[in-house]
Amino acid sequence: MTNLEMTGGFRVSPLTRRGGLKGVERRVGMLMLLPALAAFSIVIVYPFAQALGLSLFEYTLQNFEPTFIGFDNFRTIMSSPEVLDSFIVTVIYVGCATAGTVVLGLGWALILNQPFRGRGAIRSLSLLPWVVPSTVSAFIWGWIFNSRYGVLNALLLEMNLIDVPQAWLSTPNGALAAVVLTRIWRSIPLFMAFFLAGLQNLDREQIDAARVDGAGNFAILRDHIIPHLRPVLLVVVVLGVIGGLQDFDTIFALTGGGPVRATSVLSIEVYRRAFEQWDIGMASAIGVLWVATLLPPAYFYLRMLVKGR
Amino acid sequence: MFDLSSRTAKVVFFGTMCLIGFYMFFPLYWMITSSLKDNAELYRVVPTLYPHEITLKNYWTAISESKLLTYLTNSLITSGSSALLNTILALYAGFSFAKYRYFGRQPVMLFMLSAQMFPFGLLLISLYPLMTEVGLLDTRLGLILSYIVFALPVATYMLYSYFSQVPDELIDAARADGASDFRIFHTIVIPISIPPIVTVFLYSFMWSWNDLLYSMTVIVSDEKRTIGPGLLLTYLNELNADWGGAMAASLLVSAPIVAAFMFLQRYFIQGVTAGAVK
Repeated sequence: MTNLEMTGGFRVSPLTRRGGLKGVERRVGMLMLLPALAAFSIVIVYPFAQALGLSLFEYTLQNFEPTFIGFDNFRTIMSSPEVLDSFIVTVIYVGCATAGTVVLGLGWALILNQPFRGRGAIRSLSLLPWVVPSTVSAFIWGWIFNSRYGVLNALLLEMNLIDVPQAWLSTPNGALAAVVLTRIWRSIPLFMAFFLAGLQNLDREQIDAARVDGAGNFAILRDHIIPHLRPVLLVVVVLGVIGGLQDFDTIFALTGGGPVRATSVLSIEVYRRAFEQWDIGMASAIGVLWVATLLPPAYFYLRMLVKGR
Repeated sequence: MFDLSSRTAKVVFFGTMCLIGFYMFFPLYWMITSSLKDNAELYRVVPTLYPHEITLKNYWTAISESKLLTYLTNSLITSGSSALLNTILALYAGFSFAKYRYFGRQPVMLFMLSAQMFPFGLLLISLYPLMTEVGLLDTRLGLILSYIVFALPVATYMLYSYFSQVPDELIDAARADGASDFRIFHTIVIPISIPPIVTVFLYSFMWSWNDLLYSMTVIVSDEKRTIGPGLLLTYLNELNADWGGAMAASLLVSAPIVAAFMFLQRYFIQGVTAGAVK
């Protein structure tokens, strides 16, 4: 029994008449996997392993022959306030964006779960922010946040919330808020889709019964809907964190990581080191720490997928 | 779900609806209307809420005076090819994972799946010298191949979970008739799997269409550039940014992917959320 489990549940029964055929089938299965596995190894596994290795080398524009330096890159990182800043910015960015998207995505899903005329059309249109290319969303929000002609400044001035136009993208906090708001805008649709799918198999009778017992809307949300959505919530948070940590395009197009380093998340930091300063060793080392940050959510995600099968 | 008969409930419900709806849709509305304004109306400190004089000048300039059409063609070629490549690879791999049992199947599958979490930027650091070595830098083929990074793991998983639901009896019956496994896959399984195949194709296409990082790094020459970096270099790299043109170009490059998506969204949402929700 233990042997069977160790080979991944693959069964060879001495009683089966098609023992020989099984062998052929198995080879066919492996053959089918082969092209994808080859592509995967060359384009993903090999570069990944190599980047892990390069983090232990000094490899820069000045020094194109990689020299092994052990963990020196990591020591440099530990004493470098820039990389530390980048970590903090990443945590703020991913944390705020994920939390904001969960709240707004859930709210929007609950609204679109309520029957009203035109709901189908709004549901479809709600997916648009997710579908438009990342550069486009950066353009849209860059124009909204524009310091001279941006509609946000006009709106806030009109409402007397600010006295003078703000240069949102040129101040550290303004730029960080802008990339977070753009990220939330882009990810609400996906979160909404997950929540809507989860809401479909909500037990209506249970809710009707609770209502007869005098439960109000808020009580139903708190005692029935949210507990029911907990598994979906977990998936969405994990996917949101992974996606946020991977995000590069919109931030780069909107702020380029600036002003100075205010929005320089890990993905931007690695890009800058590798392709602007050509310090491949340091870029790889920061990338390795980035992978380490991704490991906990990745672990949860995989565990959920395995359990879900 | 919610009981909206009381006045408070109505106010809270519609209030929230207006707020989130405004956040979701106003930026899109603003992109469309800004693209239709001429510069005199566009560059005003107090903007007009809708274009008082509609002009298509921005679209005309975007098409005729920039390289937008070149970028669009390049994006179509690279995204289309990489989506096709990804779909074909994922089809066989997904079927193999779902219907065959062999040593190492599960660990390989888990490893492939976890690869979607490898930082794309980190992979690029070693992909870049690799491509230089084999002469694929600044080629469309190099970009197409590197787009495997984005979608292959998820595409494989999506098709795997679909194929797992295809009954074994279907395959066994055809086997009893003497059909080979490849023949069964091609003539029986693929024809009944068109919706998930389309979903995976679109998913993969979307990733490449939206990409900025890889295209910006792998492609150097302007005539091979795709829309992501193309737009960025055309509209934001100059001192005086052309916002009207940027909005018009944004609409033009979003149109193909939005059209495809609207057409297929039902399959798409099912495919993407599958597995997470039961």
